[in-house]
Amino acid sequence: MELLLTALAIGLVLFGIGLYGALSQTNLVMIMMGIELMLGAAMINLVAFWRYLHPESFSIQMFVLVAMTVMALEGAVGFAIATQRFRTSGTVEMEESADLKG
Amino acid sequence: MISIQLLLLIVLGLVAIWFGWRVFMTSSMVRSALSLMASMIAIGGLFLVMEAEFLGVLQIMMMGTEMSIMAIFMMMYMMDPGGLGEMDMSHQKNLSITGAVIISLLIGGATLIIDWGPIAVNIPGPHEQNRLLGLEILERSMMIFETAGFTILTGMIAAIAVALSVKNKRN
Amino acid sequence: MIIGILITLFFLAGIYFVAVLERWSLSGTMQWSSPVRSLLRLFIQEEIKPRKHDSIFFEAAPVFFIAVILLTISILPFGEGLVLIDLGTGALFINAALVYVMVCLLMAGWSVNGVYGMIGGWRALAQLIAYSMTVVMVLTATVMRAESMFLPDIIESQQSLWNILYQPIGFILFYLSAMAIAFLPPFDLPTAESELAGGVWADFTGIRKLLFRLGRLALILTLSVAVVVLYMGGWLGPWLPGYVWIFLKTLLVAASFFAVGRFVPRIRQDHLLEYHWKFGIPLALFNIFLVGGLLII
Repeated sequence: MELLLTALAIGLVLFGIGLYGALSQTNLVMIMMGIELMLGAAMINLVAFWRYLHPESFSIQMFVLVAMTVMALEGAVGFAIATQRFRTSGTVEMEESADLKG
Repeated sequence: MISIQLLLLIVLGLVAIWFGWRVFMTSSMVRSALSLMASMIAIGGLFLVMEAEFLGVLQIMMMGTEMSIMAIFMMMYMMDPGGLGEMDMSHQKNLSITGAVIISLLIGGATLIIDWGPIAVNIPGPHEQNRLLGLEILERSMMIFETAGFTILTGMIAAIAVALSVKNKRN
Repeated sequence: MIIGILITLFFLAGIYFVAVLERWSLSGTMQWSSPVRSLLRLFIQEEIKPRKHDSIFFEAAPVFFIAVILLTISILPFGEGLVLIDLGTGALFINAALVYVMVCLLMAGWSVNGVYGMIGGWRALAQLIAYSMTVVMVLTATVMRAESMFLPDIIESQQSLWNILYQPIGFILFYLSAMAIAFLPPFDLPTAESELAGGVWADFTGIRKLLFRLGRLALILTLSVAVVVLYMGGWLGPWLPGYVWIFLKTLLVAASFFAVGRFVPRIRQDHLLEYHWKFGIPLALFNIFLVGGLLII
C-alpha cells in the first residue's frame, strides 16, 4: 500500500508544481512546460495504478501511450501558436496578448 | 521494513520534484528546459522502477527529443542572455499558489479517503509485457490507437497551418 | 570472467585502432603513436574557461557524454550470453540512449557562451533529431523479423540469412544514420573544422576535450557494435568463438566508416536535412512495409 501511496504522492506534488507554473508564468513556452509537468504527473499515476492495482489490464499502458501522444501534440501545436504570435506581435508574453480578446 | 522499490521510488520522485521545481525558479531558458527534461527522465526512471519497462524507455527517448526542441524554441522567443540577466516572468503569484495548493489538497484528500483494495504482487515479465501490450494495441484498443495516429496527423496539419506566415494581400 | 576481461581489452585496443583511423581519415597516413601523443598533450594542456560560461553545463556536458555512451555499451551483447543488462526493450533503448548524445552536444555548445559553439550545438540538434527518426524506424523492421526486442533474439533471428541481405535498405539507412549520430565526416557538421573552427568543442580544452574525444571514439565503436548486432549477424560465424567474431566485424565496420568519410566531401547542412526528411524517412517506412511483406510470404 505504501508503494502506491508514494507514487501517488509524487504525482500529486508534480501536478501541484505544474499547475502553479501554468497559472503563474507569463510566457507561452513556460506555460506549456507547466502543462507538460501536469501530464507527466498524470502518467505517473496511471502507471502506478497499472502496477499496483490492475497488472493484467493493459488498456492502462495504452492510455499512457495516448497521454504521450497528447504531450507531443501539445508541443507541436503550442510551438506553432508561439511562432505565429512571435511573427505578428514580436513577443510571446501573455500579458501583452490582450488584443486577442476581440 | 523499507524495500528497495520504495527507496528507489522516493529517491527518483524527489529528483523529479526537485527538477520540476527548478523549471520555474531559474532565469535561464535553456536551464529551465533541461531541468524539465531531467524531471521527465526521472519520471521515466519511476516507470522503470514500477516495472513498466517499455513505457519507461519510451518516455526517456521521447522526452530527450521533445525537451531539446523546447530549449531551442525558448531560445528563439525569449532572448535568453545566457542565464545572466535576472528577470521576473510571473504574474498572479498569490492566486496561482493558492489554487495549486487547494487543488493538491483536494486530490490528496481524495487519495487518502479512497479504499484502494488489494495490492497486486505478481506482474508479467518484460518480454510478456511487450507481447501483451502489442496484443492490446492490435485487438481491443486498435481503434483508440488509430485515433491517436490520426490525431497526430491532424495536429501536424494544424501546426503547419498555424505557423505559416500569412501574406497580407491588400498591401 | 576471463572472457569479460578479454573483451574489455579487445575493445580498448579497438578504441586505439579507431583513434589511429581517425587520424588517418584526416592525414592519409597511419600514425601509430598519434593517439598517445594527443592523449598526453590534452592531459597537460592549460584549461581555459570562456568568459561568462554556464558553469553547470560546462562541467556536466563532457561527463554526461561519456555516461550516455557507457549506458549504451551496457545493453549491447558482446558475445553469446555476454551482456551486462539484458533489457527486454534493448532495441528501443539503443535509440533512447543515443538521443542523449544530442542533448550533451547541445549543452556543450550552449555552455561556452560563444557563437561557434552555439551554432554547432543547434546544428547537432537538427541533425540528430532527423537521424534518430530513421534509426527507430529501421530498428522496427529488425524487431519485426525477430519478433522480440531482446538484442540476443535479434541476432538469433539472423541464423538463416543476415539482415544486411534480408533488408539492405534498412542497413544502408542505419549505417548512414550511425555515421550522422557519431558526427563522422561527411556528416561532421556540429564540429566542422573548416566552417565552425571546431564547433561544439571549439572552446573546450584539456581534460574536458579529452573526455569528449574519448567519448566520441567509444561512440563510434558502440555504433559499430550496434550495426554488427542488428545487421551482420553478431556472434554468428564459423570456427572462431562468438566474441571474436563480434570484435572483428566491429573493427571492419568502424574502418569502413572512416573509409567513407575520407573520400566523400562534407554535406551542406540544408542538403543533409532535405535529403534525409524527403528521401530517408519515406525509404525507412517503405522498408518496414517491405519487410512486413517478406515476413508474411
